[in-house]
Amino acid sequence: MLSSLDPRIARLALPDTAPAPTPKAAFDQFETFEVFHQKKDGAAYTYVGPVHAPSADVAFLFAKEQYSRRFACTGMWVVPTSAINLTPYVGDQESVYDGVSAIVPTADAPAEPQEYAIFHLKKRGKAHTNVGLVRAASAADALYQAKLTFGEQRPVVNVWVLPWNEVLTLDPADRDIWLTTPEKKYRDAIAYKVQDRIERFKLETGTK
Amino acid sequence: MYGSVSTHDIPAQATTGLENEDPQQLAEFEARIARGEKIEPDDYMPALYRKQLIRMIEQHAHSEIIGSLPEGTWITRAPGFRRKMAQMAKVQDEVGHAQLLYSAAETLGKSREDMLTDLINGKSKYSNVFNYPTPTWADSNAISWLIDAGAIVNQMANARGSYGPYCRALERICAEESFHLKYGHDAVVHMATGTPIQRRMMQEALNRWWPPIMTFFGPADKASQHTEILMRWKVKMASNDDCRQQFLDMYVPKILEIGLTIPDPNLRKNEETGKWEYTEPDWEELRRVINGDGPCNQERLAVRRAAEENGAWVRRALQAKRQAPKAVRPLA
Ligand SMILES: [Fe+2]
Ligand SMILES: [Fe+2]
Ligand SMILES: [Fe+2]
Repeated sequence: MLSSLDPRIARLALPDTAPAPTPKAAFDQFETFEVFHQKKDGAAYTYVGPVHAPSADVAFLFAKEQYSRRFACTGMWVVPTSAINLTPYVGDQESVYDGVSAIVPTADAPAEPQEYAIFHLKKRGKAHTNVGLVRAASAADALYQAKLTFGEQRPVVNVWVLPWNEVLTLDPADRDIWLTTPEKKYRDAIAYKVQDRIERFKLETGTK
Repeated sequence: MYGSVSTHDIPAQATTGLENEDPQQLAEFEARIARGEKIEPDDYMPALYRKQLIRMIEQHAHSEIIGSLPEGTWITRAPGFRRKMAQMAKVQDEVGHAQLLYSAAETLGKSREDMLTDLINGKSKYSNVFNYPTPTWADSNAISWLIDAGAIVNQMANARGSYGPYCRALERICAEESFHLKYGHDAVVHMATGTPIQRRMMQEALNRWWPPIMTFFGPADKASQHTEILMRWKVKMASNDDCRQQFLDMYVPKILEIGLTIPDPNLRKNEETGKWEYTEPDWEELRRVINGDGPCNQERLAVRRAAEENGAWVRRALQAKRQAPKAVRPLA
């Protein structure tokens, strides 16, 4: 039996050696969702990163913990990675929209227009930021509509197009989930002021 | 090792590993990096770049998740409620770092499933320092302050690297590390300036941790074609020796000012060269421990494995309720 200095681990009575584990199956860790965060009222939603989760609700819980347990947060959006349409990336001085043209109408009956949230990346290595919503008949059309509405902005290194009906948002009434964050001072560097104690020690020991 | 590429991992090759790359694309890729632009997941990248980054980010992720174990051990026994809360917050941060890093590595094409499998079966490595035990609270403090300090030296360097998703993860990680550093310093100062028994505990913990700390950044890099390429591609941002020197510059004075001594009679700064001199770390021990023969290797992997196995039924239950997931990897 494995011996450990940690009583909790000792209690597990783990075997000394174990056979090699079977490799994890695909999706053992679930699929991914992308998370966007609003720092304060009225600020644009900004990309903060992905989470792995079995559903959007669980993704939201994980995202709240992973991306908003410090500092102010007034809103969070969560969307399945698979629902996001993205353009190729261009250089830091260029605009993706230069390569975007109007959608050629097809013989099919036009789809019911829906809303899409548009995100711009201004510089490689930075985070995508929401510039607004457009109404369009498809994701490709939404990109063209975005060009018409936001195409003046430069540079635009990459664009994400999110079908709005796939985005899980927070009911403003539930914003109090972030109310207690500022109380958790012990999580913050500024809560640790150690210099006084060091100075006192130096005086006492005559090293100062 | 906690985010530094060890060029020793690369098998000696006569070739550069670039002969299969398209020269035009390779030139554009290198020009982009030279201009200071970041590489994003869908860009062309040489296979060697991808491979090195996966190895490096994956090792970094494993180091976070395994590194949370020796400190996690002390949550229930941390002295006082406030320190329990803070220790728990730090451990939560480290596990969160692992998640951010696994996702960054996934954008390069290796799944989180495969990384976790390779961690448990020993195929992938993690920072060797976490194969040593934390017999006392003071040992946990030594990690919180000095191992994190070393990790920050690495992470700050890597945050200037060329891969976008890794930079984004590191930006978030470095912000949280500033809490770890302050928290760890506070805890060590508390012990070192406390009662004679506390002082002795802290000194003994430092004596135990100093040799692993000196090996933390890895042996001096061999001058090789690979090292040169990885530096040009901004994958490897600083040499192991430079990181070690920077760490000593920043932390030796802070250790000494609180009355602790460093258990190396040869440690001194050479005023002429401006470089620290020290007893050469025991690289033979490092090699032995990395390869499994350390005091805690077995325990670390057994605990990780138990966590995986004990959580399996929860994951299965959650899987059962869902529609077939689509194959995706994080976008950025
Ligand atoms: Fe960390
Ligand atoms: Fe750490
Ligand atoms: Fe840390």
